[in-house]
Amino acid sequence: MPAFIPKINRFTLAFGVAMALCAATSAKADDAEYGVLMKTLANPFWGAMSQGVEAGAKGAGVKIFEQAAESDQAAEPQLNLCNTMLERKPAAMITAAINSTNLLPCLKVAQEAGVKIVDLDNNLDQAVLDKEGIKVTFHIGSDNNAAGAQGAEYLVSKLGKDAKGPVLVIEGLSGNITGEKRAKGFADKLKELAPGLEIVASLPGDWDRGKAASIATDTLTAHPDLVAIFCANDGMALGAVESVYAAGKGPQVTIIGVDGNSDAVKSIKEGRLNASVAQLPYLVGKQAVENVKKALAGEKVEDSIAVPTLVLTKEVIDAGKEPMLEYVK
Amino acid sequence: MASEMAQPGLWARVQRAAVERLHIRLESLLVLVALSAVMAVLSPYFLSFSNFLNILLATSTIGVLAIAATFVIGSGGLDLSLGSVMGLSGVAGAFVAVNLGWWSPLAVVACIIAGGIAGYINGQLVTRAFVPAFIVTLGMLGLARGLALVISQGRAIYGLPPEIVYIGQGRPFGVPMPVILLVLTAIVAHCLLAYTRFGRHTLAVGDSEGAARAAGIRVEHHRRIIYTLSGALAGLAGLLFTARVNAGDPTAGINYELTAITAAIIGGTNLFGGRASILGTMIGALIMGVLQNGLTLLAVQSYYQQMAIGAVLILAVFIDQYQVRKESRV
Repeated sequence: MPAFIPKINRFTLAFGVAMALCAATSAKADDAEYGVLMKTLANPFWGAMSQGVEAGAKGAGVKIFEQAAESDQAAEPQLNLCNTMLERKPAAMITAAINSTNLLPCLKVAQEAGVKIVDLDNNLDQAVLDKEGIKVTFHIGSDNNAAGAQGAEYLVSKLGKDAKGPVLVIEGLSGNITGEKRAKGFADKLKELAPGLEIVASLPGDWDRGKAASIATDTLTAHPDLVAIFCANDGMALGAVESVYAAGKGPQVTIIGVDGNSDAVKSIKEGRLNASVAQLPYLVGKQAVENVKKALAGEKVEDSIAVPTLVLTKEVIDAGKEPMLEYVK
Repeated sequence: MASEMAQPGLWARVQRAAVERLHIRLESLLVLVALSAVMAVLSPYFLSFSNFLNILLATSTIGVLAIAATFVIGSGGLDLSLGSVMGLSGVAGAFVAVNLGWWSPLAVVACIIAGGIAGYINGQLVTRAFVPAFIVTLGMLGLARGLALVISQGRAIYGLPPEIVYIGQGRPFGVPMPVILLVLTAIVAHCLLAYTRFGRHTLAVGDSEGAARAAGIRVEHHRRIIYTLSGALAGLAGLLFTARVNAGDPTAGINYELTAITAAIIGGTNLFGGRASILGTMIGALIMGVLQNGLTLLAVQSYYQQMAIGAVLILAVFIDQYQVRKESRV
């Protein structure tokens, strides 16, 4: 049995070495450190946001300490991360909460400790925050309502004010606020600009490419003269594109997505997807850090910062003149 | 080490005493201590009382689920529905308290009953329909999650009464309530498993069903009780979760069953039944908690954290198997 003892020690040693390597690569604490807590990095949107945060921190000369939950449904693990991050006594916590309630206990503690709280990507609900007595320094993110409206503006600019015909809207996951805002923004603006374009169906595609493809196929069967499809995200729009082309109606139907992700950019360049309203997560991340620095320096920062969105089309991408294109990642 | 060499058998005696009295294997405890020591050296933030409480708090829901997993696996079964049942229970409790506006203690009962019913159904199907536990509980994983989404209509039910929120966020004597409840649950579960006939029967059933039957144990009946207990514990975890985040979240507990099973296995529970220890499981859960907490403090990215936990699982089972083989050779 004694032979087992050195074994354990070898394991301990291995642990030690592994941990030391981790430590060597990690940043040491600093007074002006900002904690950045993301949803998950396993999604290009958050990846771009994270790059923006890093660029912002570099530009502003501040240290950041970033963590992300393992998935965008890991609500409690994210709360645990938040609590642990507070141990490093950050000056600010920039948080993209998985839902509007999961981080509240941690944010309360942060507030008591005088840590500035930033709502990244508008995941917190002001009404709930008021009820809990938590004051957020500012909310920052894209205006999803405006993104939907921009989609409608693009469609009307392409088809004209007097255009007529059926339009399909594919919503996100039912109950998800982001998808709801995008779909509503689109519907409201379309009604205002081109009443002749009638939304014949608005169905939840659950952010799922395959589901959106099926919805598009079914709607084309019911409305062979369909003129446009608006999808609450790019993944679904790309699914719809495949259905429309498979039905041989590629040029007839204008398809618009939201996000501006790299697959969508590729499809737009190939002339398949017509447009994507690009959220600029990179810019959101960058501006978040810059504004926290301002707030910590005592400057006035708006309560709610809306980062603009950009309609990506083949013309815009090919021309390459739009300055915000550099933030499309 | 030299002194160990000089007195051969000391380590074996300590180890045997630990196994017999505390029902734990010292290796897992050593790993926990070593890991904590390493973290303490690497991060100046690790060794503080508040961080210690953070670790326990972060371990509380998983810990309760891991206790459930220990009973089930110890009896030779498997419960893959733990995380989903936890989600369902939390939603059920929040529904009773918020949507129906009933008296708070009823919501607490609703959490545990909802979990218990799901577990009872698991038990019935495993023992009466002869569907393997893997399949039954995998089915329940989907069923419970779906039902949670139906009840909550896909949205978290926010705004629980203060008495319930206290269960998750209150700090009597500065110690978070979930930690207190975890410790109490662990003590009761430890006594149940280690010192009662029920516990002996559980391990006997897990060790050899045939032998247990020959010894007069009502194997099926016993299994049904264990699955029900497992579900009820998942219900308790659901209560802790819901109270902690002040919302009945239908997506709560996704993949928690795997973490809970991992904690039990790291703690020395035999995946094929017959050997289990609640204290060991708690150590297993703490090893994962310390690892996660320490790596977070060191600003190591979450992807590496997942890798580290996977590595620890394999390492722990390797050490365990090494020991078991050694003993069987003697």
